[in-house]
Amino acid sequence: MKLILKEIIHRKFNFLMGLLGMVTIVTLVVFFYTMTRATQKETIRLTRDMGFNVRIIPGGTDINQFWVEGYSNLSMSEEVVDKLVNQKSVNYAHLTATLHKRVQWRDKHVVLTGISSQEREPSGAKKSKMIFAIEKDKVYLGYEIAHQFNIKEGDTIAVFNKSFEVAKTLTESGSEDDVRMYFDLGTLQSLVKMEGRVNEVMAINCMCSTKNGDPLGELRAELKKIAPEAKVIMKSSVADAREKQRKMADRYFFFLFPIILIICALWLGSVTMTNVKERTPEIGIMRAIGVTSWSISKQFFLRALLIGFIGAIIGFVIGTIGSYQLGPNIFNVTKIAITPNYFLLLGAVIIGPFFAALSSLLPVLWAVNRDSAELLKE
Amino acid sequence: MLEIQNISKQFNSGKSNVTALNSINLKVETSEFLLIKGESGSGKSTLLFILGGMLQPSSGTIVVNDKDLCKLSEKERGSYRANEIGFVFQSYHLLPYLNVFENIMLPNTLTGAQINEADVFRIVEELGIKDRLYHKPSQLSAGEKQRVALARALIINPSLILADEPTGNLDEKNTIDVMNYLKAYQEKGGTVIMVTHGHLADTYATRTIRLDKGQLIT
Repeated sequence: MKLILKEIIHRKFNFLMGLLGMVTIVTLVVFFYTMTRATQKETIRLTRDMGFNVRIIPGGTDINQFWVEGYSNLSMSEEVVDKLVNQKSVNYAHLTATLHKRVQWRDKHVVLTGISSQEREPSGAKKSKMIFAIEKDKVYLGYEIAHQFNIKEGDTIAVFNKSFEVAKTLTESGSEDDVRMYFDLGTLQSLVKMEGRVNEVMAINCMCSTKNGDPLGELRAELKKIAPEAKVIMKSSVADAREKQRKMADRYFFFLFPIILIICALWLGSVTMTNVKERTPEIGIMRAIGVTSWSISKQFFLRALLIGFIGAIIGFVIGTIGSYQLGPNIFNVTKIAITPNYFLLLGAVIIGPFFAALSSLLPVLWAVNRDSAELLKE
Repeated sequence: MLEIQNISKQFNSGKSNVTALNSINLKVETSEFLLIKGESGSGKSTLLFILGGMLQPSSGTIVVNDKDLCKLSEKERGSYRANEIGFVFQSYHLLPYLNVFENIMLPNTLTGAQINEADVFRIVEELGIKDRLYHKPSQLSAGEKQRVALARALIINPSLILADEPTGNLDEKNTIDVMNYLKAYQEKGGTVIMVTHGHLADTYATRTIRLDKGQLIT
């Protein structure tokens, strides 16, 4: 090792060029990996903000009625959510039980919507909430309702002879939500005497279901097994956008990764080749002294391992700092999600040295298999 | 000590074969100082490398101390060189990043050969490079470099020294010095086989052979 270190100090430039190659590859991999993960998070976040894309409704629902009225006039037990959670469904995320009922309120048609205060995750993963939890004696009002009746936050209104404080008046959405009153699910179930019943479970399809290109088919097959009393409808446009964005991010990374790898392997290989050529007489004298080809190869491989190890650490640091510096400018929503990935560091310090050694393999084999006499004549 | 029988060596040069050595027979006794002479390309260095087990002959046998070199594995040939042979080359081939002491200790560093540091100090004293012990090769003159190379060859106490034009880059004074060191080694019982063009070495040799176009002519 002492000999290797002395050689490195003597041929600093060659070592630094090798190190530069290794630092470049690890920096690019760490940077692109971190940014790709951030792209995916950003995509997930943005498409999630487009709303739930999966609707689980009672199995007997008349689809015409459903689309005309906006919700099913049948109901099902809210235990359907428990079933999906207990069976650890792989296809559904952000499961939120809801109950909808169209009523006349102050001579206007409004929709009462009860939302479960809990989003359930069959995968067990901790995910950020999409819904707002409403306290039992409070109500959120859609824009039109508040606007038409000049209701302000903090006012008290009566629904089915029960008083509720208006906790929030919502901004204009340009949809049916503007004439909606939001309650806690349990509260609305009591109000309309439908305890334990729901007529829709909103969800987002987990992206694990896209392997065979038919996510809806997979959603339906799984639901049929777990909760045959329900059926599922998917908002294809939102789901497609989500899936396409995610696939694009994956393709982007997996397209760049091999290119980076090949370029850097060639770089490291040519740096080793230069080193090997420069050390030709040295290899010759080592042979003359009685050193075996394997021992000579070890000198070069250890040097490459050192380049790989140091390069991996420096590359990780630069790649991570680069992601920190550039990431927030690109990913406004999920910039907080750009964090150092220490598994990448572990991977880099394990794989990096082997990659460097592998890149040096051909030049080293070429050198040690050359005729000793030829080596010494150079 | 050393006997070669019917040694031939062909090299592939593009589409044709070049014969570097053709049916060479030679016997070298212990404590001989053998000079190998000949024109450039006559096969002198090839013969030296074959004797050192660094080149495999195309045919023939080399027996050194009752061992057939051609039948040894790469590792065994390496061990033979590490323990029995000291090489000295025209271009010295010192490692530029090691100082004189480290260059002399190289066989120990790389092959684990038993070298006593006291022997290093003794040998550098004998060769007149004691005050250069911690200098790098780039700080040495040609004569000093060759003395270091000689020290590296002698430090393992080899039974045979193979020298390929060791004085080729030296002035007359240094040439005489190097030849004197080699002669002293031979007089202590060592065997020297030296390839050279020059005439200065003639007076030191116990025997001279001449190669011409790969054939032994005297």
